[in-house]
Amino acid sequence: MSPPDQIHGSWRRILGTLLLAVLLEQMPWTGWSLALRPDFVLVGVLFWTLNQPARISFATAFCLGLLADFQDGVVFGQHAIAYVVGVYLVLYLRLRLLQFDPLRQAAQLFPIFLTVQLTVLLVGWLAVNPPTSLAVLLPVISSTVLWYLVAGFLRLWHGKGIQDRA
Amino acid sequence: MAMPGQLMFARRLGPTARLLIWLLVGVSFVVLDARYHALDGLRSGFSLLLQPVRETLRAPGDIAAELGGFFTRHRLLQIERDALLAERARLMLDVNAARDLRRENAELRTLLQLQARPGQQVVRAALLYKGHDWFSQRITLDQGAGAGLRSGLPVVDAEGLVGQLSRVYPGSSDVTLVSSPGHLTPVVVERTGQRGLAAGGGQGQLELRYMPAQTDIQVGDRLLTSGIDRLYPAGIPVARISRVSRSQSSPYLRVECVPLAGLDHSRAVLVLVAEPRVTTP
Repeated sequence: MSPPDQIHGSWRRILGTLLLAVLLEQMPWTGWSLALRPDFVLVGVLFWTLNQPARISFATAFCLGLLADFQDGVVFGQHAIAYVVGVYLVLYLRLRLLQFDPLRQAAQLFPIFLTVQLTVLLVGWLAVNPPTSLAVLLPVISSTVLWYLVAGFLRLWHGKGIQDRA
Repeated sequence: MAMPGQLMFARRLGPTARLLIWLLVGVSFVVLDARYHALDGLRSGFSLLLQPVRETLRAPGDIAAELGGFFTRHRLLQIERDALLAERARLMLDVNAARDLRRENAELRTLLQLQARPGQQVVRAALLYKGHDWFSQRITLDQGAGAGLRSGLPVVDAEGLVGQLSRVYPGSSDVTLVSSPGHLTPVVVERTGQRGLAAGGGQGQLELRYMPAQTDIQVGDRLLTSGIDRLYPAGIPVARISRVSRSQSSPYLRVECVPLAGLDHSRAVLVLVAEPRVTTP
């Protein structure tokens, strides 16, 4: 793989590789090959997000995620959300990732792929066993209010922020 | 520092805002699909689009299998033919006996004024694709609503029950396998007639649930569908018991079984299409 700044990704090349990735996923994989099959589409999307963020990012990832949802016969949105999260992480780490040689890039992408897969798991689990009520989210609100009270009280007490005391 | 294609100045929303927007869209998709089943049209569209692609990509494997079959040795074929002829003769005897029994059964049923059982009709289908899902085990078949399939029909292969149709598209359909986690199949132990529920345990295994500790059950017993749910016809082999263990904490036995059907490696399966039940006054 040539360094990213030498890749002049044209639309034809981007669409070609993504199409190839989709076709590869359509092969009748079974057994161990199915278990070990890389997520070709995800790799393609993240690669082009890294190298051509102006062209390939959230929208493409979302649509291809819907396709992946269809392929695995799962609830729509499961892979779509996960791919979008992956794209965000790549965009967030983009300038840093571009500095690295392929080996280190791959090592940095490992946690991103892991996050994407765990997001698929989480969303799928929430979709299959939806929580009985949204009351579990109430502590989020009460914690925010508590934060406001604590921070406001400390500011009143010390005049300024607490870190200024040092 | 500035590279071609690198964004120096933000010309649109920042990544975080776009992430939030797309997450919102994603969550609405999940809710629409899981709660309201509003996206079945999209699913059918994808299936229409992708089915020819899948069939094309399956072709190289099929052609290789055909070529392998072409070069089979003549002697092997002869041996196989002889074995099949012997098998056929044996089966013909059984068929004659079965015909006799069916006639007798029909007469008895009319005598007893029982409702006639619906006839069975089969649709052949081939394995098209396997997806991986965290929560269930599914395969995709190459026949769909066009061949008269409906959601909920049982799928069998030569050895036993494979699963149940869970989604049907115009030209293809998804099967939830019997070993899929949480998938329940009402069964009866062939040797003793004890009824039970076989639940999928994932990883190609089944578990026979709620068997009291004193039940007569042995390793090697076969489980057949009991037909109690009016969904599966009675008597389809489902699984063979592989391990029976007692637990200290539970009043029930822990019974593990191995499915008889080649769940994800049988390429050709049959879908049992029951004829609509005729209501007699």
